[in-house]
Amino acid sequence: MNISESKDFLVSSASLKEVRTFSRDVFNKIELPQDQKDELVLAIAEAAQNIVKHGYKDVAETTDRMEIKISLKDNELEIGFFDKGKPVVPGNVQHRKLDDIKPGGLGTYFIKQIMDDAVFKKNEQQWVNHLVLTKKI
Amino acid sequence: MTYKVTEEGNVSTVFLNGEIDMDVTEKAKEVILPLVESGKEVHLNLKDVSYMDSSGISVLIESHQKALESNTKVIVKEVSKSVLKVIMMAKLEQILNLE
Repeated sequence: MNISESKDFLVSSASLKEVRTFSRDVFNKIELPQDQKDELVLAIAEAAQNIVKHGYKDVAETTDRMEIKISLKDNELEIGFFDKGKPVVPGNVQHRKLDDIKPGGLGTYFIKQIMDDAVFKKNEQQWVNHLVLTKKI
Repeated sequence: MTYKVTEEGNVSTVFLNGEIDMDVTEKAKEVILPLVESGKEVHLNLKDVSYMDSSGISVLIESHQKALESNTKVIVKEVSKSVLKVIMMAKLEQILNLE
């Protein structure tokens, strides 16, 4: 089964519930164990949260929108995130060490645990950042 | 997210309900942390929490650490399956007081 669905959202923490609803709706069309669907929704929500939290750090409110595209082709799931926030320096995207117990720094760790790969691409002129998460399912 | 707080002796129980993400963590902290800082033992009942992300996990960590500073404890109770999975992914099941 092949799928390609995208939706844009206001860059805001208030949009995260809508992001999860969109993701769940897409994954409900795919035959996957519920646990795996839940993990994928978490990974997407964490990546969207990173855009709100880090891409728009120190921005009180914005009318910018971010786009999320979920594609499935030949059992390869690809999730694209497009935003116009601060340019991401991929080398700076690191999670905290797990034994350094403190609030924060886990979102990227969760994404890496759940997905096979996470890469920032530079091929989208109309956006600033384009993150691609992939997983063989 | 909605919540309910009950008091019994020196124990405050916070029943959280719904989905806990970045959008509601400040509200959750406003409810939980003053109880912890007052020195009460705080029980966080998560049986009706259907979703928690890294922001929610941060609330649990901050509550736990604040309890250590305040010489009391936070006990996380009746964790739903989906939330337990996230706690375990963060390898916090041995750090947080889970019951």
